[in-house]
Amino acid sequence: MILQTDTISLTLQGHRLLNNIALDVRPGEVLGLIGPNGAGKSTLLRIMAGLLRPETGRVLLDGQDLFTMPPEKRGRHLAYLPQEAPAAIGMSVRDVAMLGRLPHRRTASAEQNETAVQQALDAVGMSAFADRSSARLSGGERARVLLARALAVQAPILLADEPVAALDPAQALTVMDLFGQCAAQGQAVAVVLHDLALAARFCTRIAVLSQGCLVSIGPPAEVLTDALFAEVYGVAVRRCGEVAVPWSLVSSARRP
Amino acid sequence: MSRYSLTVAVLSALVLALAILSLAAGPAGIGVIQGLSDMLHGRETIAATIIGQIRLPRMILALLIGGTLGLSGAALQGLVRNPLADPGVLGISGCGALGAVLVFYTGLSAVWAPALPLAALSGAGLATLLLLALTRGGTLVLVLAGAALGSMSAALLALTLNLVPSPYASYEIMHWLMGSLSRASLHDVLIATPGLLIGSALLFSTGRSLDALTLGEDVAQTMGFPLRAVQWRVVLGTALAVGSGVAVAGGIGFVGLVMPHLLRPLAGARPSRLLLPSALGGAALLLAADLFVRLPVSGAELQLGVVTSLIGTPVFFWQVWRLRGRPV
Repeated sequence: MILQTDTISLTLQGHRLLNNIALDVRPGEVLGLIGPNGAGKSTLLRIMAGLLRPETGRVLLDGQDLFTMPPEKRGRHLAYLPQEAPAAIGMSVRDVAMLGRLPHRRTASAEQNETAVQQALDAVGMSAFADRSSARLSGGERARVLLARALAVQAPILLADEPVAALDPAQALTVMDLFGQCAAQGQAVAVVLHDLALAARFCTRIAVLSQGCLVSIGPPAEVLTDALFAEVYGVAVRRCGEVAVPWSLVSSARRP
Repeated sequence: MSRYSLTVAVLSALVLALAILSLAAGPAGIGVIQGLSDMLHGRETIAATIIGQIRLPRMILALLIGGTLGLSGAALQGLVRNPLADPGVLGISGCGALGAVLVFYTGLSAVWAPALPLAALSGAGLATLLLLALTRGGTLVLVLAGAALGSMSAALLALTLNLVPSPYASYEIMHWLMGSLSRASLHDVLIATPGLLIGSALLFSTGRSLDALTLGEDVAQTMGFPLRAVQWRVVLGTALAVGSGVAVAGGIGFVGLVMPHLLRPLAGARPSRLLLPSALGGAALLLAADLFVRLPVSGAELQLGVVTSLIGTPVFFWQVWRLRGRPV
């Protein structure tokens, strides 16, 4: 399934937040949305998730307008992981992940739901904590449980807003690796990121936003140029050898 | 048997036992089975009259009103994701009672009977809408607004009753503010039951949406549960259920606050799993309280709300004590 924004714009209280953004997220890719604070990344992702209506333009899911689609159907096609989640109210880890199966309540069997939740918990490494109360988890563990909830939807489109912001480097690598696996299995993944090193390493394509405009989109090596860093972020870059970004993280031996 | 099923089974048995006890208890020493059988066969005996005209309406109303109070407490707490939500604490019952009093003492309800529950549920509905509009301000704003609504409705209610030429004004004020089933009649059952049942059905239908809401409004919406749809169902359901209850029994407090707190450890933290146990628990609490007020303790009957508050507040304090020091 392809999620497409068809030249969308949004103005809120006189501020132009997004200006004619046209991009798509394709099956098998991880699209990284990067840009300075206030560039409109999260707003764009919220529009792509159907949470905010663009002023002009359309959001299309396989050619069908996202905002005219029945909510339940949309819920099965698209999983959204917000930047901040409310404090867990003490449900077990498994129950939280099971919430991801709510959109499938009329279409999937209990076994299918159980399998999907188990796979999601395995993927984020939280199976061992399945029966623990989510109130008794660390910040990183809670972020992974909420990710498991989003994975359990098994939606063809996965949208995540700064999913690694609360994670240590090792967990961040694991989670980004997980998005890569989702893409490899045919999901279309869009991720808002601040960490350019992670973006360069794990994203198939990168879309750069600045002041509500799409500045550049393409493979990391083509997009993340010295000129772009200077123009968009206002920083200079010192390159060391063949590394494409100022610095780069590599996989650690220790797995969280 | 899971802990949830066990909780529901035990509570159901408790409600059934209390309902039977409620029919059997009273100053007139009559046989329940004899009375019921006389009533069903249309024999106009004393037992049939007492059961049919006094005890049965009282039992049905205690069961339904207690149930809807527990249920609306659980649904409101799920909707605003705040354990302090309750129709009594937030002034919803008080505003409902004010609506009922205005219609009752202007004589409008004598002309057109449905005016009474309609006025009560309008009062309760307006209060719920106002509170929902303020929930975005956070816990503090919600509780302050609820306290303000409660005090305002109590003051206006007392003022209204002081203005009507009734020698029993202070007794009437007590009835509406604290709640009572001592005057429950078959007519009250007919007036209140439709709203209580429809309201309950609406509130029960919100379970999955409330589950989704635990992940926040945005995620719930992307999963196919728009917040607005849930809000309307909870507002309408609460207004119908609480309004209809208040119209015949006054503002009975603390049931909706206490039951979800008490049952959360047993039924689990999922809001949908709390609805049925809270309804059963609320019904059991009100049936028990109504049995208690009938005990010949002080000669005059206690107000029902006095008993539920006396039972409710220690439980509430205990919960607050457990929550101390934790961030809201």
